Amino acid sequence: MNNKFSRFLKTVPMKLWVILVAVVFFSFFSNDFGLVDIQKSAIILAAGIDKGEEGYRLTTQIAVPKGTDRTTGGTSSVEITGKGETVSDCVVDIYALTGWVPKFVFCNLLLIGEDTAKEADCMHVLDFFFRNEYMPDSCFVAVSQGSAEEMLASQSAVDDTSSLAITRLFSNASEKSGRVMKNTLREFVISYYGPSESGFMPFVCSFEQESGTGTESSGGGQGGQNSNGGGSQKKEKVYCVRRTALFKNGRMASILNEEQTFACNLVKGKVFSGSFVVDDNGKPVSITVLDNDGGVKFETKTTPKATLTVKLTVRLLNRSTPSSVDDVSLNVVTPELLQKAEDTIRTRLEEVFALLRETGCDLFQLNRSLYRASKAKYEEWKDTLLATVPAEFDIKIKSTK
Amino acid sequence: MKNVSGDLKKVEEELKKLLPAEDVLTFPFCTERGLNCTVIFADPLTDKELLGDQVVRPLLQFEGKPTAEEISKKLTFTEQRKQKKLETLAEEILAGNPVLLWEGMDEGIIVGTKKVFVRGITEPPTDIAIKGPREGFIEDVKINTSLVRKRFKSENLRIEFVKVGKISKTFVAVCYLEGTSEENVVKEVKEKLSKIDIDYIPDSSYLTHFLASRPKSLTKQVGATEKPDIFCAKIAEGRVGILVDGSPIALTVPYLLVEDFQSSEDYFVPSYRATFTRLLRLFALFLAIYIPAFYVAAQLFKLQLFPVKLLLTIAGSIRDLPFSPSLEMLLVLVILEILNEASIRMPKYVGMALSVVGALVLGETAVSAGFVSTPAIIIIAFSGIGLYAVPNLIEVTSVVRLGMLLVAGSVGTYGIILATGFILFYLVTEDCFGTPLVAPFSPLVGHDLKDSLVKYNLRSLDIRPKTLKSKNKRRLNRE
Amino acid sequence: MNKISSRQLYFFLAAVAPVGKLILLPVTLAHYAANDLLFPAAINFFLQAGVIALVLLLAKNGLSLGELLQKTFGKIGAKIILTIFFAFFFYAALCPLIEQKLFVQSIFYDTLPSVVTFSSFFIFSAYLCAKPLSSYGRIWDILAPVAFVGFVGIIALAAGNMDFGALNPVGAAGIEKITQGAAFTNYWFFDSAILLTLLGKIEYKRGMAWKGPLFYLLGAAAVMLFLAVFYGIFSEIAVRQQFAFAKIGKYSPAVGILGRIDYLFVFALSLVMAFYSALPLQAGIDCLRQAYGSPAGKLLPALASVAVNIIMLVLTVFFDYRFAEVRRFVGEMLFWVFPIFTLLLPALSPLLKLRVRKREVKTS
Repeated sequence: MNNKFSRFLKTVPMKLWVILVAVVFFSFFSNDFGLVDIQKSAIILAAGIDKGEEGYRLTTQIAVPKGTDRTTGGTSSVEITGKGETVSDCVVDIYALTGWVPKFVFCNLLLIGEDTAKEADCMHVLDFFFRNEYMPDSCFVAVSQGSAEEMLASQSAVDDTSSLAITRLFSNASEKSGRVMKNTLREFVISYYGPSESGFMPFVCSFEQESGTGTESSGGGQGGQNSNGGGSQKKEKVYCVRRTALFKNGRMASILNEEQTFACNLVKGKVFSGSFVVDDNGKPVSITVLDNDGGVKFETKTTPKATLTVKLTVRLLNRSTPSSVDDVSLNVVTPELLQKAEDTIRTRLEEVFALLRETGCDLFQLNRSLYRASKAKYEEWKDTLLATVPAEFDIKIKSTK
Repeated sequence: MKNVSGDLKKVEEELKKLLPAEDVLTFPFCTERGLNCTVIFADPLTDKELLGDQVVRPLLQFEGKPTAEEISKKLTFTEQRKQKKLETLAEEILAGNPVLLWEGMDEGIIVGTKKVFVRGITEPPTDIAIKGPREGFIEDVKINTSLVRKRFKSENLRIEFVKVGKISKTFVAVCYLEGTSEENVVKEVKEKLSKIDIDYIPDSSYLTHFLASRPKSLTKQVGATEKPDIFCAKIAEGRVGILVDGSPIALTVPYLLVEDFQSSEDYFVPSYRATFTRLLRLFALFLAIYIPAFYVAAQLFKLQLFPVKLLLTIAGSIRDLPFSPSLEMLLVLVILEILNEASIRMPKYVGMALSVVGALVLGETAVSAGFVSTPAIIIIAFSGIGLYAVPNLIEVTSVVRLGMLLVAGSVGTYGIILATGFILFYLVTEDCFGTPLVAPFSPLVGHDLKDSLVKYNLRSLDIRPKTLKSKNKRRLNRE
Repeated sequence: MNKISSRQLYFFLAAVAPVGKLILLPVTLAHYAANDLLFPAAINFFLQAGVIALVLLLAKNGLSLGELLQKTFGKIGAKIILTIFFAFFFYAALCPLIEQKLFVQSIFYDTLPSVVTFSSFFIFSAYLCAKPLSSYGRIWDILAPVAFVGFVGIIALAAGNMDFGALNPVGAAGIEKITQGAAFTNYWFFDSAILLTLLGKIEYKRGMAWKGPLFYLLGAAAVMLFLAVFYGIFSEIAVRQQFAFAKIGKYSPAVGILGRIDYLFVFALSLVMAFYSALPLQAGIDCLRQAYGSPAGKLLPALASVAVNIIMLVLTVFFDYRFAEVRRFVGEMLFWVFPIFTLLLPALSPLLKLRVRKREVKTS
């Protein structure tokens, strides 16, 4: 008996192995434990949200594989819109409409319709994406001029897929030009929940390609499903993200224009190849930024005081009038012109600051700086800080020699 | 054991009783002075011409006293031994060495006129070197030992012969350097060899099952090489070598996994190049094992493992496939294994044709017919190439690759991680003759890392690998 | 293979043990102490380091925990205490395993997978648990560099996005929150108790009693760095960033260009985590082995291993959607349980040595 038992024990490991291998084979060939593989998934590249009276409209731009034919290049896509009382309800609607499981893991752009951003706290819209474990919070967020649905459904002149054309504008190179203030879901939500309760998003608008800088597309959304892969005769569009939407408590409060956006980027110290125009006795002169250092200094000794610093190294890029050959070869910016450039930037920053006071949007995160410096003083000043804080502008521009 | 007696007839009869086979012949002859002599030999194994010229002919004029001493002096063949025991004489006859007997003898003379059937020493097909020696072992243990002896002109080289196999009585040579190889390992090898109870040993690979401490192990437990330079280098490091008659593949113990990532050429090229190629082999092995598994797991469970553009390309190419991603990959893998198996066994010219059929016709047509996708073929091709970068581990890695694929198709990426953990744990708990299989990485032996996956300059390798516990530690004087 | 070398032990303390604290500890600390999350972590690490020093002092005489207990309390006493320790390790393993399960479901799959998928972990764990605890030493030699590469890779990818200013103002959470954070997160700190079960399997070397804690604090420093980076990246939203170590790498510009290369490092750390998560179960089974010997050879640990892992599988499935409750129960309601086994008993363990010595003097 003992012998039999010990012989049995010796064979146990082998039997266990056989069972294990059988289990692996079984699960390999019958694997469908709620599995959502590549063939059952809708790969969402971008999502646009609009809120109407009936509820939310979520437009997803879904990538459509082109098959093995790679000669045409680009990425085809189709826009599917779901409706519902919440964003997740819209997602379920999309699933019901397409039969594909919507996967947000590749979603790189969240567009919020202009009206939606103005009407209510955007976190109602972003909440679903922020909570979703399978949604990358590194995706870009932006406000769309007009409806987000229409923006995503528009035909890009530079790419088959509109969202890819838009996100290309948020590249590091674009950021260095100082023409765009890009933001991600994570950063927006941090600033929303932070002491400043403010944030920003680039404001996306589109232009028809035929007229170059011509007419802006009209706002307002249209429902239904669109496809840019079909035969609809759409006018091709190019996109612009040079303006910036300001948010206070999640609601869009105002928009910075292109010059103001550029000035804010200078304060952030992120501009390394951008240029701006200075008026030289009625003639425009372009100056390019070679080096940029900026920041917001915050003093909390007795009363709070904010100093916005911009330090630039520049050179002359382009005059609108013919110059001497010496001037062309040196590209030096004259002291008079430097002074004018400083004045220009100061004026824009003053405009920005005035707008921030007006809207209550703490774009430069002064409240956060105050909180980090002293919790007690933050508690004391947090409600009046932006309205009362004296702001100084320390702008120093030097030219290459 | 019986000894030979003076009666020639009786001895002849006794030997015939021991060797009743018909190919054991007796050649009786008489010297000019009337001394009756007999040569007994195994017909197919003996060089009869040599026997006649160098043994029988000189003896015909023999005039001295019929003692082994005197007769031996008369023979012109140098390789001769005297032996009293009948059984030993019989064994020698079967080994091809004729036995000379005469009337009134008290011992027989074994003459080494064995006929040697050997092929030439050529470069082994399994271990081709662009730089470095090109000699390879052959199927004759004597010649193989001579190739070893040629490289070690040292009195410390010990070559000890053991006979293994009840019927085959195969000569097995245990080679080691006295004072350098670990005594316990030498002792253990001899013990294990002496305990082998088997009829026939056709090849050295049979011995690996008896030498391994865990014969059912997934991994190799004994090192193998076809090249004498590698064999000698390993013995010089402190390992014990085993040569088997009839096999061109020599064995070495203790075996370390890292050995299979090294090639003899690594020692003949600059150290940075050797390091690069070793790391490349490791990378290739990882690629071979993991790339099909991750490809399947990514498609089934974790699309994010692909960059989005690649994902869309893949999604496009698998759109109309009839199989699931996992089944498709398994199918391609199995086809590759079949092709591989078939092309290896085929004659060279047919093998070439088969490769063309496999690669071009099957691959291209399968893709066009929509059976499999192009990315799957590319993935398996990468994997196949990677596998052959470490040829000595193919048997193990191809099984591991299949296992990984099954796990990936069942559980996904996490399954691959767990399977990797399982393999790692399995490997680190394996020992070969008291030496950890994964040394010098686990347990970590800092010094031995100098010649592991990286290779330091030769002058830095002044101490023998500590993992092998050699008593003679220094092998190079840096001064 | 029968002994764990000093280097292997240091590798465990410096590189393997810290990895188990990267999954949900950061977010839990952020929940209790917000930007002061480093302080409760530091309190626990220092307490553990001190106790580890005391436990390693015991390693000198080469006796196992079972032998020490037997010499002090007799056979039955030792059996009772070892069984209690087994129960503790089983209890200690629960939270990390549910945590591991949630982590796997979130990070290794694009959509919520079936509960069956995580059962593969218990096959792996059952295999490990059936092996003697001393065989872990060699795997630590491999896991330590893997953990190091994974950690450095993740931190390097996250480097460009962190703002250490988020850790200000220091002390904003207040002492109460900080101590609460330390108390309610102590169930992640059971390394000293694990070391108790390793007694007798460690190859003692001079200076181990101070080098061990030093290496542990080195690992602690790495965890603290991670916590700082974690809070620097997520600041106000850190409280909902579960499985942060698998997320912080994706903000790197390199990920935008090459795809999710951060997963290479995440997978490396996950490999280490898989071993670390199985460790409490293995320590528990080792306690059983020490208490009841192994009359049937390897049968007891093998059967115990299979049984324990099946029970744990059932528990993890059962508590899958109740993790918050389990965490509250283990971490908050019964927060005093862990200090008894991870601080008090290990700290008192050197007394066993004194007692043994006294007995030896008496008998001689």
